[in-house]
Amino acid sequence: MKYVGKSIQRVDAIEKVTGSAEYAGDIELPGMLYAKLLLSPHAHAKIKSIDFSNALKIPKVVTIAIGEDFSFRVGLYVNDRNILARKKVRWVGEPVAAVVAEDLETAEEALEQIRVEYDPLPPVLDVREALKPDAPLVHEELGEYAHSPAFNPIPGTNIANRFVVKRGDIEEGFKKSNVVLENEFWMPQVSHVPMEPYTCIGQYLIDGSIKIWTSAQSPFAIRYILGYSLGIPLHKISVYVPYIGGGFGGKAGINFEPLVVLLSKKAGYRPVRLELTREEQFMTAPVRQGFYGKIKTGATRDGKLLAEKIFYAFDAGAYADYGVNIGRAAGYSCTGPYYVPNLEAESLTVYTNHPWGTAFRGFGHFEFLWAIERQMEMMAAELGMDPVEFRLKNALLPGLITPTGEKLREDAGRIDQCIRAVAEKIGWGTPPQAVGLNRYRAKGIAALWKAPAMPPNAASSAIIKMNEDGTFLLSVGVTEIGQGTVTALAQIAAEELGVPVEKIRVVPFRHTDLTPYSWQTVASRNLFMEGRAVIRAARDIKEQILEVASQVLRAPKDDLVIEDEKVYVKGRPEWSIHFKDIAAGYVYPNGNTVGGPIIGRGYYVGSRLSYLDPETGQGYPALKWTFGAQAVEIELDIETGEVKVLKLVSAFDVGKAINPQLVEGQIVGGVLQSLSLGMWEEYRYDGNGRMLNPNLTDYKIARAGDIPEEHVVVVIENPQKDGPYGARGVGELSMLSVPPAIANAIFHAVGVNINDLPISFENIWKAISKKR
Amino acid sequence: MLPKLDYSSPRTLGELLELLDRYKDQAKILAGGTDLIVSLREKLEKPKYIIDIKKIPELGKLEYREGEGLTIGATVTFKNILENPVIKDRYSVLWEAVKTIGDMVLRNRATLVGNICTASPAGDSSPALLVLNARVKIVSKEGSREIPLENFFTGVKKTVLKPWEMVKEVLVPEPPKKSFGRYLKMMRVRSEDLSVVGVAGLGYREGGEIKIRLAFSSVAPTPLRVKEAEEAFAKPGPIEEKIERAVQVAVEKVSPISDVRGSAEYRLNLVRVLTRRLLKQLVEVV
Repeated sequence: MKYVGKSIQRVDAIEKVTGSAEYAGDIELPGMLYAKLLLSPHAHAKIKSIDFSNALKIPKVVTIAIGEDFSFRVGLYVNDRNILARKKVRWVGEPVAAVVAEDLETAEEALEQIRVEYDPLPPVLDVREALKPDAPLVHEELGEYAHSPAFNPIPGTNIANRFVVKRGDIEEGFKKSNVVLENEFWMPQVSHVPMEPYTCIGQYLIDGSIKIWTSAQSPFAIRYILGYSLGIPLHKISVYVPYIGGGFGGKAGINFEPLVVLLSKKAGYRPVRLELTREEQFMTAPVRQGFYGKIKTGATRDGKLLAEKIFYAFDAGAYADYGVNIGRAAGYSCTGPYYVPNLEAESLTVYTNHPWGTAFRGFGHFEFLWAIERQMEMMAAELGMDPVEFRLKNALLPGLITPTGEKLREDAGRIDQCIRAVAEKIGWGTPPQAVGLNRYRAKGIAALWKAPAMPPNAASSAIIKMNEDGTFLLSVGVTEIGQGTVTALAQIAAEELGVPVEKIRVVPFRHTDLTPYSWQTVASRNLFMEGRAVIRAARDIKEQILEVASQVLRAPKDDLVIEDEKVYVKGRPEWSIHFKDIAAGYVYPNGNTVGGPIIGRGYYVGSRLSYLDPETGQGYPALKWTFGAQAVEIELDIETGEVKVLKLVSAFDVGKAINPQLVEGQIVGGVLQSLSLGMWEEYRYDGNGRMLNPNLTDYKIARAGDIPEEHVVVVIENPQKDGPYGARGVGELSMLSVPPAIANAIFHAVGVNINDLPISFENIWKAISKKR
Repeated sequence: MLPKLDYSSPRTLGELLELLDRYKDQAKILAGGTDLIVSLREKLEKPKYIIDIKKIPELGKLEYREGEGLTIGATVTFKNILENPVIKDRYSVLWEAVKTIGDMVLRNRATLVGNICTASPAGDSSPALLVLNARVKIVSKEGSREIPLENFFTGVKKTVLKPWEMVKEVLVPEPPKKSFGRYLKMMRVRSEDLSVVGVAGLGYREGGEIKIRLAFSSVAPTPLRVKEAEEAFAKPGPIEEKIERAVQVAVEKVSPISDVRGSAEYRLNLVRVLTRRLLKQLVEVV
């Protein structure tokens, strides 16, 4: 292959490194107004009154909106979200009012003149508390919310969704088990910390149509939800998305777009921009949900898993319109990459008075794999088995059954190869080692898997247009959030069309009026699905090229060959015609023309994916499963709790690396994010649910100095036959399971089990002190 | 957003002191701005006037005179300090402490005098300056005065400075002959962070006896010199015992709080562990 499998330069590289790439914050529109949000100081309170009469008197304030101005809700899967808080506030940071002014200074000044009277209500600030029968309700009207049929909210409780998996006979499984172990796990809410905070502009036009310019991952989801909620047909809504300065899931679904559109209407149809500051990004933008897990595992004496009872509860915060699917995704993957014959799992998405949760790279898997991979390590210790051997013994190999009853396809990735690869490269098998008086070196490993969490009908499509000179424009709905998918898609198109990749330009923006549909840019689904759509679009183009060439060359289509931008007759390369001479129709010397402008199109949806049975969770949720494993070697200072990751090894079965350098880039970046989330990142709250660290001084994320010196990346390629050139997604996978690998290494170093995140230096020290 | 401010940038010290005298507590001095701009954005400070001192040449003085010591002017940045070979060589504790402050971007702007004037308990340069017996030269329209840095801090983000005064420079005397200093700092991450606990130490010999100076960040309302712990080295006895005694006293004298960066309990442990490690290193070298 000429282009697939090659590490070509990113198609957006020059634009980005020279600063000429367009982002939402660069967009200025004539007559544009600026919005600023007044945030709730209470985690849970009734809004008694809002007085903004003084604020409205300030010159250059155009309008002020409050929740009662907008009498409907929005949401991706559950329609539970208000545009601005109505009747009550549900977290510290919920927008209560929005000021629209001629400039930002005025909008900010006006906020100080708004008086809100609250009647505080008891807040729910812990997911376990929220499940108690007498817990205050975050959503009294849960029963009235419209929701997708795949979800099961329980009115009268804080449970936004209950997902259940049942397989085999769990009683029998535990009865036959020689070793049974139960443990609890927890992790806090965290932020996506995108380099570019949320930015969007909305305009409600006088003819009832809508224009949006936004830093969003999923323009078509925004268009659909907005159309549904406002009752506006989709052809009257345009969503424009330029490059995105990092999303990590936080810019998926729909966020502040409905607000700016409605503010525009209230402000006399002028465009309104909202751009969050970093502090606002922490306080009012959606976060990754918190997590609590409890796992009971049974195995035979020789280490075969027999039964598992799993309980996951996701702390969804104030709204769960997207969050419900995270609990569901964690539910159907709940065992991790292991075969468990008897299984009972319950995965709940639970409302609390924390900031609202949304998608986050890994989508529930980072969370539950923390629990599973710690549990596997503790089981191995209980059994007296080597943890690598224990994992291999229970590895979910092709032909075995997943939690939802799916027989793993024969061309699925191989978890055993991933585990073996990291074990080998980390030098597994050497015992922990003391370094000086107070330091220990030790190794740890953890495995992972994930399938895209998406509805069965999630679709992708692609359009390739041939220009008059034989160059091509590739248009796809997947947004460029840094992950590099569009570069791989250009390579696939080049390979299929047989043209140099330089002759293909990926259209650098998404515009729902022009761009072909893509459900969302999420779930590590886009290389696979857009990839297949691009192949089909390229083949559609070739078919059209052959059609014209067949007339011009006076030979049947099946006698023609496409190669190097030419069509020729088999065995007669001298009888050929160049692409550029067909691109907009072939013109004979006398002016007669055949053919015309060539536009190829293709779409892709997963084959035979299904909804899951509401009682047992059985069915086919997975387009593909990507498997992987992580290994670390750490040095632990037992007196301070400081951990240094000396070496990291990551292995993923990606099926086929379309662009090896980009695959490695995704793995290096994802692993560092995983390390950062595992060791440092955490929303810290005071007793009233107010975030204590809404800035990058005290919300610590990994920086260059935190990158381990040695990182070995192993790319395994067992192709999946229906993937584009065999490829599977890897974008999210790379950021799974680093924290359990570190905690497992700490366990081997000092025999301490850390089951709550973050594994901060202080928390490690506390755990070690407690044991002493 | 930043509030609307009246900005001025005097060219001479005289002009600056005149402005300070006129505006008093309605003015804030802008040097590196790495603390000031943050507090303006967060509306913690609401001055009417900002006086930028970067255009006053004499405040950029960074000078070492053999036998007299070091003068660090108000606009000398951390980068200037790190690039100074004399500081690296003779004032290693200061050099090490400055190296741990923020990242290169910040150190390019932030000034040492700004760091002490912010008077954060977590300031990293202060413990180093404390063990070096640094003095602060304060000037105003009325005249000037010089006080030990130890007497400069009065509380969390509070100093003895009057609104019409400013710190012109910090004076760091010549350290004792063959002294050796280090700064140990515990952070939440390995890259860049404020200190969870910082310990500065200076070791030297006087009449053959090992002497130690010790100071801390992030364990009290102000950066803290703990002379009581230093006294452990004044009494006779085996060195290991002196170290343990000093550690003991240090733990008793500090009063850390629990905050978002660490619990009091953890900080006390770090005082114990870091002080012991630091002292062991110092006695080994001197």
